[in-house]
Amino acid sequence: MQNSAFFHFLTLLLFKQRSKHIGAVLISVIIIFLLSSVLFISSSLQYSLMDTLEGEADFSVSRIQAGKAVNTPVEWMEKIMEINGISGLTSRVYGRYFFAPRERSFLIVGVDLFDEQNSRQMQKLAERLDLKAFLSEESMLVGEGVKKFLEKHYYKSYFTFKTPQGRFKKVKIVQMLPSQANLVANDIIIMPIDLAREIFGISEDEVTNITFNVPNDAEWDNIVAKLHLLFYDVRVVEKREIKKAYENLYNYKGGLFLILYLVTIVTFILILYQRYSMVYSTERKEIGILRAVGWSIREILKLKFYENLIIVLVSFLLGVVFAYLYVFIWDAPLLSRIFLGGANLSNHVEFVPVVKFGLLGSIFLFYAVPFLAAVLIPAWKIAVTPPKEAML
Amino acid sequence: MIKPFLGWVAALLLCVGGVAVHYLAQGKHAQEEVRQVVRVTGLPVPSLSVAYYEPRVLFYENAANPAYPQMQIINRMDLVYAK
Repeated sequence: MQNSAFFHFLTLLLFKQRSKHIGAVLISVIIIFLLSSVLFISSSLQYSLMDTLEGEADFSVSRIQAGKAVNTPVEWMEKIMEINGISGLTSRVYGRYFFAPRERSFLIVGVDLFDEQNSRQMQKLAERLDLKAFLSEESMLVGEGVKKFLEKHYYKSYFTFKTPQGRFKKVKIVQMLPSQANLVANDIIIMPIDLAREIFGISEDEVTNITFNVPNDAEWDNIVAKLHLLFYDVRVVEKREIKKAYENLYNYKGGLFLILYLVTIVTFILILYQRYSMVYSTERKEIGILRAVGWSIREILKLKFYENLIIVLVSFLLGVVFAYLYVFIWDAPLLSRIFLGGANLSNHVEFVPVVKFGLLGSIFLFYAVPFLAAVLIPAWKIAVTPPKEAML
Repeated sequence: MIKPFLGWVAALLLCVGGVAVHYLAQGKHAQEEVRQVVRVTGLPVPSLSVAYYEPRVLFYENAANPAYPQMQIINRMDLVYAK
């Protein structure tokens, strides 16, 4: 019964003084919203990329000249094949095509469609794609970003590429890649490998790089050593390196925001502390009156604790809910550009909902503990002074 | 507790519940399309909207700002994290 009266008084006080709390709630919601949004985006991107990495080959080999990756000779494949323990040896042809008039670039990927597995995967990717018709004339599949860009520049069904020899190559746009795959496919153009070679001027005995798998993990270091003995101008990229780099890639950007968050939260807590410890604040009078009517210090601290705990909980939940809606329902307009860039084609990515509860718990602690301390310490200081002095 | 407070708490819990239901129901089906594109291209790299002189295919390209060749691009994490 006593408790019920206490909570009735507490909620009544919260509602009566809502204009006093609204500022603190608003600032808290904004801070929590921004930080949670950033963390939601980074964890979603990390999840998606890590997931796709499972399909990536264990090793990628390319030729290096003057510190830069150059076209790799196809004959390297035969030499690599001789190394024991290697499987799934394949070559890739890809590169960026620069559209000079608008200073935009596309990533062209050449796919060997005469390879049974590739053609099966293509069929799965592009529904209703008639592979025979696709191969009968020079055609391509384009990502959503490319499609929109080309349409905007009146290339509705065809695009004309310029080869390094100065010839023009008219290629038909057959289909758009699914927009759900924009995370990896927004600026991609998929076309038959021979056409890609022609556009980039890559000869038949060259590829962009060579990839392969080594099923036995224990052999990985050994394979790298063998590759370096075989070729002196080689660059080997391992899947585990990429995995580690992906883990750090978005943590880094998330980390920048975490620092900003800490700076903001410290400033906010200082303002809060200042407000509550002001000599003539209404808080002093309120605590003084409660003391004068017989409330103990413990009861006053309990009241202040619960009052601010409700504010903290409401602000935190609102901030997280808004961040969730912003990232996973509205696909984080503006903020996603920080992570995916905005210098080339605009990219609209649908983020896969990934919530790291441990991280949210840490944010809550980093926010709630200083907030409560900033309110309770001045409240305690006032409560221990005689009521008469407190109300002066 | 006063009634308006209970009303606000109920509204807040409804929002949190809605988000929880969306999170559990949504699943990760959008991810299948991404996987399928990667199976065809073999390139599991994010489609970063970067300028032409910046690396688009991470870890496979060596590119630097032509104006400041010594300066590493922010997307390359070598400057912060050792590989």
